[in-house]
Amino acid sequence: MSRNLAEACSVVIFGATGDLTHRKLIPALYNLAVDGELPAGVQILGFARRDWSDEFFREGLEKLNRKVSRTGHDDEIWESLAATIHYHQSEFQDEDGYHRLAERLDEIDRERGGKGNRLFYIASAPEFFDDILLNLKKAGLSQGRPDCEGCWSRVIVEKPFGTTLATAQHLNEVVNGTFQEKDTYRIDHYLGKETAQNIMVLRFANAIFEPMWNKEHIDHVQITCSEHLGMEGGRGGYYDKAGALRDMVQNHLLQLLSLVAMEPPTDLTADGVRDEKVKVIRSLRQWDTPGLVAENVVRGQYLAGNINGEEVPGYREEDRVNPESETEAYVALRCMIDTWRWSGVPFYVRMGKRLPKKATEISIHFKETPSVLFNAMPGGVPAGNVLVIRIQPDEGISLRMNSKLPGTTLRMEPVKMDFHYASSFGNSSPEAYERLLLDAMAGDATLFARRDEVEEAWRFIDNIENAWHESDTPPPMAEFPAGSWGPREADELLAKDGRTWRRL
Amino acid sequence: MSDVISTEGLGMPVEVGAIDGQLKKLWEADEASTNASLMNFLVYTEDPTQLVKNSETIQELTREHACRAVLIAMDRGAEKSSLQAWITAHCHLAHGKKSICSEQISFLLSGYSMGRLRNTVFAHLNSDLPLVFWWQGEFSDLFEERLYRLLDRLIFDSATWSDPKANFQQLIEAREDTKGEMVTQDLSWTRSYFYRLAVARLFDDPRAQQAFPHIEKVMVKAHPDHRMAALLLLAWVITRAGWKVESGQGSEWTATSREGNQISINLEWDEDAAPLAELSMSAPGCEVRISREKGNSHLCQSVCADGHCVELSGPADSDDPEGLVASQLSRGGKNSLYLHVLPRFGELLEMGH
Repeated sequence: MSRNLAEACSVVIFGATGDLTHRKLIPALYNLAVDGELPAGVQILGFARRDWSDEFFREGLEKLNRKVSRTGHDDEIWESLAATIHYHQSEFQDEDGYHRLAERLDEIDRERGGKGNRLFYIASAPEFFDDILLNLKKAGLSQGRPDCEGCWSRVIVEKPFGTTLATAQHLNEVVNGTFQEKDTYRIDHYLGKETAQNIMVLRFANAIFEPMWNKEHIDHVQITCSEHLGMEGGRGGYYDKAGALRDMVQNHLLQLLSLVAMEPPTDLTADGVRDEKVKVIRSLRQWDTPGLVAENVVRGQYLAGNINGEEVPGYREEDRVNPESETEAYVALRCMIDTWRWSGVPFYVRMGKRLPKKATEISIHFKETPSVLFNAMPGGVPAGNVLVIRIQPDEGISLRMNSKLPGTTLRMEPVKMDFHYASSFGNSSPEAYERLLLDAMAGDATLFARRDEVEEAWRFIDNIENAWHESDTPPPMAEFPAGSWGPREADELLAKDGRTWRRL
Repeated sequence: MSDVISTEGLGMPVEVGAIDGQLKKLWEADEASTNASLMNFLVYTEDPTQLVKNSETIQELTREHACRAVLIAMDRGAEKSSLQAWITAHCHLAHGKKSICSEQISFLLSGYSMGRLRNTVFAHLNSDLPLVFWWQGEFSDLFEERLYRLLDRLIFDSATWSDPKANFQQLIEAREDTKGEMVTQDLSWTRSYFYRLAVARLFDDPRAQQAFPHIEKVMVKAHPDHRMAALLLLAWVITRAGWKVESGQGSEWTATSREGNQISINLEWDEDAAPLAELSMSAPGCEVRISREKGNSHLCQSVCADGHCVELSGPADSDDPEGLVASQLSRGGKNSLYLHVLPRFGELLEMGH
């Protein structure tokens, strides 16, 4: 898909001393520079509370970039990028800090010949989102400079975009009170991944798939996000408040689901695509009673187990996790989309920590062949066709089909046609943040979530959370040993429909 | 277990968490080879000295069966818990040109650690390909539901079991747990494949067909290490003939045919014979006989009736487990005949004990 031209701007990162800036954002800007994609004249300004100098800030960024950059680290390219990196110290609540920020941005523009475009990236802790947005408005930074025709001011907001529907609506009010919706970019880095973008290409640029992409031919869809990590590095503090459903399903996995299930958009504009995605989320059947939640959703926590030969603790024994926690580290859902296309086709979504391997994949399970010919033979055919879209790692697409074993008798085995991005296209794919930063500079919001998408997703999630935490008869918490593929209850969720989870 | 376990030939030692990355590098570094895989092939043993031998077996098997091989050896006697891993690739020239390779990951698991075998298996599979699991030796407590639930095909050799009844019981429970989805393949059953084909072929002879309802005696001679193969072969004959086993003791049984005739069945042992050395079925005036000399790669088959003999020869099954596994992988299938035969086999085992 073509993109508008990215324009030079000042990128202001709130929460600049944090991990995201060091591990993702600056390496993304560096790699864009390496690939020659970063517009000339981009300036980067880190905004944070710590009393750091420009030089100290740059040194820390360089150190991490050497470690994590996708393309390695070239001193010459880094030097030229580092010259555009600045640091601005201020408390997030300090109004004066934002006035000083405005002056500094003007000064940088004057010195470096900047046009006056601003891209604000809010990567701070979520409790500061309101303060940052309101103070940007007060300092006059949320609109294009009045003395500059055609200048723009945009904001990228990191997840979590709210923790409930109410908090998301509040945040949207604040954001929309500060920036116009067209200038608001709610980031979901999954949408920046090559294979997520490729879902639309696969569906709408290949004539063989779209005619089969419906209830007539598809038996069910599975979306799996498995992580082998647990609560290392103090993640337990955040995670125990969020849980798998809020942390991953509300945003990343429902976004993937909407890309798989949406109708063809009328065009490839941001709103053309997002109009169709939001219809999917809006069509999700609501699990709005404890009974429906118990029937269609399984939540679980891992017990002590083994990962890569190491014994690991159970969820409740993890650092910074409440020993009596009722937060799910695993969730499996049966989602129904009440549209003409998907009527009766379940979308099974699962996400869990401490599963055997790290992988995010979508699998489309086609219906069995009719019960004649091979399927009428004892045992039938070995397996139905499955189209797999691997989001991470090892991005690619595979198709499972049945084949006759060579020999004089008729025996069949499943075989796999496999396409790997890395081996087919050679160069490593750009990181999601590279694409998304560039899109924001180009004013293309296609790969960002719109307000209504976020709120509709929260509406679906809130019903489940309420059944778990507000009901007098909450559905139980299932358990599974770390290093296994989740609780038996999740297997039963599919087994009662006569299906099984795909083995990754 | 000895603390000196050979790992020569297993390839490059790797950190367990870095296996995928290292495999990727292995393929990136070699543009002349193609990584092929039609299945996940797991070989599990609780005898760690077998690890290197199993790697050699994979080297041979991958000539015909491209796979991702995962070899796991468990040293349960070790005091300290540890996990070591190696990666390598087995490459073979296809049509004298292209080098087709199968990747292999080997693990040596020492000591006890809860859930480690299961995780080691699940974490290193190639998705969407069938999972064939060759369990070597007796089923232990590690053969548990969370593990076998995900297997497509379980290969084992009942000849290696010291307590066949207990092991078969575990197998039957596993099949029930998996609702019969898991295909089971006993190498002792595979050992009789060409014998069974030969029997079917010989009874195509009209004289043998005519004598079939009058069979009075069945004899199988086998090597004492292959009692299971001999019993399975007998169980197959009994099942196909529709006979009923009435009584048995030691290596002798009595059965009745559909026509009510009594049949005497006996097993003979010979330390110097092939695994399955002979099967003979006798009726008045007719004898069907299949035999194999130790070390021979073919079966001698004969039908003698009315003073006239017809002799034929045909292929024999491999003696070694590796060859049997290779044949089994080539044949695939659901192995439903084996399951059909198991009830009669159970009777022979029970009565003949």
